[in-house]
Amino acid sequence: MRMKGARTSHRPGAPSSIGRAWRIARLTAGVTGSYVGYMMQRLFLGEAQRDRRRRAVHARAGRRIHDELALLRGPAMKLGQALSLHTDLVPDELLAELTKLQMEAPGMHPSLARAQFSASLGRSPDQMFKRFEAEPFAAASLGQVHRAVLRDGTDVAVKIQYPEIRAAIENDFRWLRRASLPAQASGHLPTDVLDELESQILAETDYVREADDIVFFKNGLKPLDFVAVPDAYRAYSTDRILTMSVVRGEHLDTFLTRHPSQRLRDAIGSRLLELFYFQVLRLETLHADPHWGNYLFNDDGTIGLVDFGCVKRLGPAAVERLRRSFLYAGRTDSPEFQQIIQDQFARPGRTLAPAALRAVRDFTEQFYRKVYPPDLKDAVRPFDFSDARFLRDYVRAATNLARAKGSTPRYIFLPRAEIGLYTTLHRLKARVRTIKIVRRLLNDPRSHDRDPV
Amino acid sequence: MPNRTIGARARPRRPPRRTPPAASRRAFKKEATRSRIVAAALTLFQVKGFDATTTKAIARKARIAEGTVFNYFPTKEDIALYFLEQEVDHAIAAVRGDARLRKASIDEKLFALVQTQLEFLAPHERFIGAAFIQALKPGSKLGVFSPSAQALQFRYLAFVQELVDEAIRRGEMTAAGWWTPHVFWIYYLGVLLYWLHDTSRGKQQTLAFLDRSLKIGVAVLRQR
Repeated sequence: MRMKGARTSHRPGAPSSIGRAWRIARLTAGVTGSYVGYMMQRLFLGEAQRDRRRRAVHARAGRRIHDELALLRGPAMKLGQALSLHTDLVPDELLAELTKLQMEAPGMHPSLARAQFSASLGRSPDQMFKRFEAEPFAAASLGQVHRAVLRDGTDVAVKIQYPEIRAAIENDFRWLRRASLPAQASGHLPTDVLDELESQILAETDYVREADDIVFFKNGLKPLDFVAVPDAYRAYSTDRILTMSVVRGEHLDTFLTRHPSQRLRDAIGSRLLELFYFQVLRLETLHADPHWGNYLFNDDGTIGLVDFGCVKRLGPAAVERLRRSFLYAGRTDSPEFQQIIQDQFARPGRTLAPAALRAVRDFTEQFYRKVYPPDLKDAVRPFDFSDARFLRDYVRAATNLARAKGSTPRYIFLPRAEIGLYTTLHRLKARVRTIKIVRRLLNDPRSHDRDPV
Repeated sequence: MPNRTIGARARPRRPPRRTPPAASRRAFKKEATRSRIVAAALTLFQVKGFDATTTKAIARKARIAEGTVFNYFPTKEDIALYFLEQEVDHAIAAVRGDARLRKASIDEKLFALVQTQLEFLAPHERFIGAAFIQALKPGSKLGVFSPSAQALQFRYLAFVQELVDEAIRRGEMTAAGWWTPHVFWIYYLGVLLYWLHDTSRGKQQTLAFLDRSLKIGVAVLRQR
């Protein structure tokens, strides 16, 4: 869920009439289907005035990338969101543009939102709620969120999905599959990875499933008393409308402007890491949509978790493999470790290519062992996430793994979630006793209790 | 405690009950009968179809004499036309009466107009499909050359022109002109056909089509 930010506007450099006609022809061709076409309209539709102050080359490049990705909505927008989590890896101006993608998505006007609500629930928002705000307060990548008040006075957030978004995503993927044929043929983008990506993004369009996941996390996360999860109101929800209670807290950007103390940032950092690994290791299910808009922070150290659109079930087998490799203390070139990696990354009945094996080993050496030192004597000091080098290490190692064809559908959402976690920890400049938290969740008797706020 | 006087406690005198004049009573009764006939006809059009519905059946359903139906509506097409007038008036009033829409963009206003019409028509979908075909028949009162249908169309298009003029003033549709409402009329008929054939749940496809096509249309008419 992303707060609506600055408004986008006219694109500088009006297209020529021929160019416009050509674009319109393309648009019209896709009008009944692809959301790509829908978003293309922004090329010349934009709103009021674009920010004129930004004249730097980076800003222009950033804006172009932001626009192109926003136009592509569905999967490409998700990619843009993933990119924008890479703080310090991209220039500031570019980051500013990409951050907008996180926080704002072109939305439905109130008349369309109302029509979509009525078409889905059979009654208008005015009939169902005591109060309903026509203007959305946040944008979600597949819809938008409105504030409302139930008849009994409860404040709620109502997420409304864009009409026909499912068909649009299917169209986008048809396009993506055609465009990525070379990458599929070379094995860099395996078809099953695309399948997994599509099914996961399509799953996000089912708000009934999302309401189920809210209940799952509400119960599952009870042991972590610092996490708040909303309630889903089924009577006000369908597969395209989701009504939830309001979770208090501020987005990371707002939270940081008030300069929280190092102690608070450390505590929140520790809790974020605990929340992440509690989901992976205990619930075997991950809230895998990690962008900043989905976490709400409070001065008392509590964390609100919203938007359960992208939830990944890892399953006991995958988690068991992860347990074996995570804190492996031996040499990474040992046959034992190689076997663990084979089990974890190779497709059934296939062996992992030596390059992929090397890439995983490098990943372990260059990233995991630095952030999660397996040796206990190194584990006493907290890991300082304020240093951007660790993020660069992560991205380099992850990129090498993808290049070495180490992508596997099983873990496709894990890096995205991890990048979200690490970027947030970096922005918090948190110092976290990573290994202590992970050991406790792995039920390691050498671990100690939680740090107080 | 405030002082209470007898005068203050006394009930305000009620204005004398006025009986409505006979003419107005008659008009009221006439309107009620007209509504009864239209309601009965619409139900039958939806259930049995436009062609299969007889005036006799409408009279029976409305519990009035067949001759009375003819007094109000000489033909079934007149009933259809009356219903379509109601639909247009309702949609125009809804858009005019929505204070928030005054500041909205032209594409939202046009969306709200068409969507209100579709919501009004939704319970009578089968009948609308039949009326569409009926309008194409030569000599039909619903057709483009019928004076009564034209009057209705002009009323509708005058309102669209009003919205377009406002959009031109606001620089939203600088390339629009006198012909814009007429193009919009053809577009509206297209939307209606699309809607009639839309089998998606809650007419999702029509919502998406309406939104996207209006945005494109308005963009085309925005001169830079």
